[in-house]
Amino acid sequence: MEPNGILIYAQKDSECGIHPVVFELLTKARELKQKIWNQKIAVCLIGERKNYDETISELGSYGADEVIIVNDDRLKEYNKEYYSEIFVQIARKYPPRIILIGATIEGKEVAAYTSTKLETGLTADCSNLDIGENYILLSTRPTFGGHLTADILCKTFPQMATVQQNMFKAEKTEHSANAIFDWIDTDKIEKKIEVIKTIKKTIGTKDLTTAEIIVSGGSGACRDNGFALIYELACKLKGAVAGSRSAFEKGYITKSQQVGQTGKAVSPKVYIAVGISGANQHLTGIKNSGKIIAVNKDKNAPIFKYADIGIVGDLFKVIPELINEIDKEG
Amino acid sequence: MKIAVFIKQVPDTDNVFWTENNNIDRTKMDSIINPADLEAIEAALKIKEKNNAYITAVTMGPEKAKEVLKEAVARGVDDGILLCDSKFAGSDTLATSVILSSAVKEILPDTDLLIFGQTAIDGETGQTGECVAARLNYPSIGHITDITEINDNYIEVLSSNINSETTFRLKLPASICVNNFVNKPKLPLIEGYIKSQDKNYKTYNLYDLNILETQAGLKGSPTYVWKVYKREETRNGVIFDFEQTQFNEIYKEIKKVL
Repeated sequence: MEPNGILIYAQKDSECGIHPVVFELLTKARELKQKIWNQKIAVCLIGERKNYDETISELGSYGADEVIIVNDDRLKEYNKEYYSEIFVQIARKYPPRIILIGATIEGKEVAAYTSTKLETGLTADCSNLDIGENYILLSTRPTFGGHLTADILCKTFPQMATVQQNMFKAEKTEHSANAIFDWIDTDKIEKKIEVIKTIKKTIGTKDLTTAEIIVSGGSGACRDNGFALIYELACKLKGAVAGSRSAFEKGYITKSQQVGQTGKAVSPKVYIAVGISGANQHLTGIKNSGKIIAVNKDKNAPIFKYADIGIVGDLFKVIPELINEIDKEG
Repeated sequence: MKIAVFIKQVPDTDNVFWTENNNIDRTKMDSIINPADLEAIEAALKIKEKNNAYITAVTMGPEKAKEVLKEAVARGVDDGILLCDSKFAGSDTLATSVILSSAVKEILPDTDLLIFGQTAIDGETGQTGECVAARLNYPSIGHITDITEINDNYIEVLSSNINSETTFRLKLPASICVNNFVNKPKLPLIEGYIKSQDKNYKTYNLYDLNILETQAGLKGSPTYVWKVYKREETRNGVIFDFEQTQFNEIYKEIKKVL
């Protein structure tokens, strides 16, 4: 069968609905679709959802033409071995030109397995997608520690890409989707992994992906209690605390607070970058922020090109001054 | 118990040198062992502390990549092998997974456990370990922070993400990718260093691994780089010099966005 259209993997969110990255990918897929003869956009949904009718119409409202649903008793919860193999079988049954997957842990597991089984190329953590020459997918991603950007093409079908949450904006449209309830024999899938136990973590840090204000520290803040200033400023602004890769590597923040290509992509109203020079991989993670304020002592730091407001100066002087001004207003 | 640890020599991307033409000057850059791979070595060493285990480090790259094999042996790994062939150059994740899985099949067939670092700082796709496991049909789990039990039949591992910690039991042979492992990399010992220098590291090429030319390198890679560039984007913001400006002027601008 000739490969046709775009297939998107739909992982769950924490409330058994659809993960927001899926709507972002659908919005992007509508743009790509116009460049490949308006071929269909299909979404593959594995396992239980709280309400199928609502889910299907919601996916339709973001541009899905077709929703392929696979469910049975074994598929209620995400399970790497079942979900990956089922997605491969769906991609074989309805062969697409393009497969897009949100780069969550689940999405990346499914993507790696699928590309191997279909013997096709996979471009991970893309910052943009387009259709290039010969109607093939053009995937853009940071490379070389985030210092360079690469445009990547793929010779085989399907052409696969993973994209982090918050890279694209989700927008609704007037549209509705058809549903296909499919069935795949899970008896034939060999299980070699068993879940012994899961412990939910409850840490008090604010979720970066939904925070309105983020104060973020880089290597410049990794000395002389610089992060204490970051926390104080975030507290005054009721914002979340984040950091760059080097702040993570030096132990000042947890992995869940790391912003950038290998951490999280964020889209707050205001992103305040303190002592962050602005490697490409970090900039990729903050490009959808509303306004960016940068404080850095090096006037040539790349972050200033990317900032709406830049302050060239010592953060140990600038941030206390800023906190002082905020305090004055009460 | 036989363990293979997959390691990679990468450019030190924290210290980048640029040429006048805005290209990266690779000749000036240091090569280091990929940081996550040091954690993979620690995970293997942790198993060896309590079990009778033999650890082989595997790397793909040019002759110079033997440096990381030496480093691995200095840190306590038993042996190292180099997968080296000009036909491997330019391999993407898919072609790399063919080469590494063939090394397991042809050179280390009775290996019980494969250990990878979660990501590499140069490519950062974080998919290689998963792809090798998929090719070998081994069970595989990533984001492993600890190994809680291992015996002849299975391994129990702790996988951590932002919201939860899960203990998985994987039937052997299996594959794991390590991230933020409990045991932090220690400095190599003098005896290890001496042993690493005297050792003969075997090299294997395309034919040794029983791979077709069309499966490796550029020929075997479905993805290819169309263009690489230094990103030049700007928001054209207002930039203040802190020492030269009254702070209330700066704050006026900040207030507009807060």
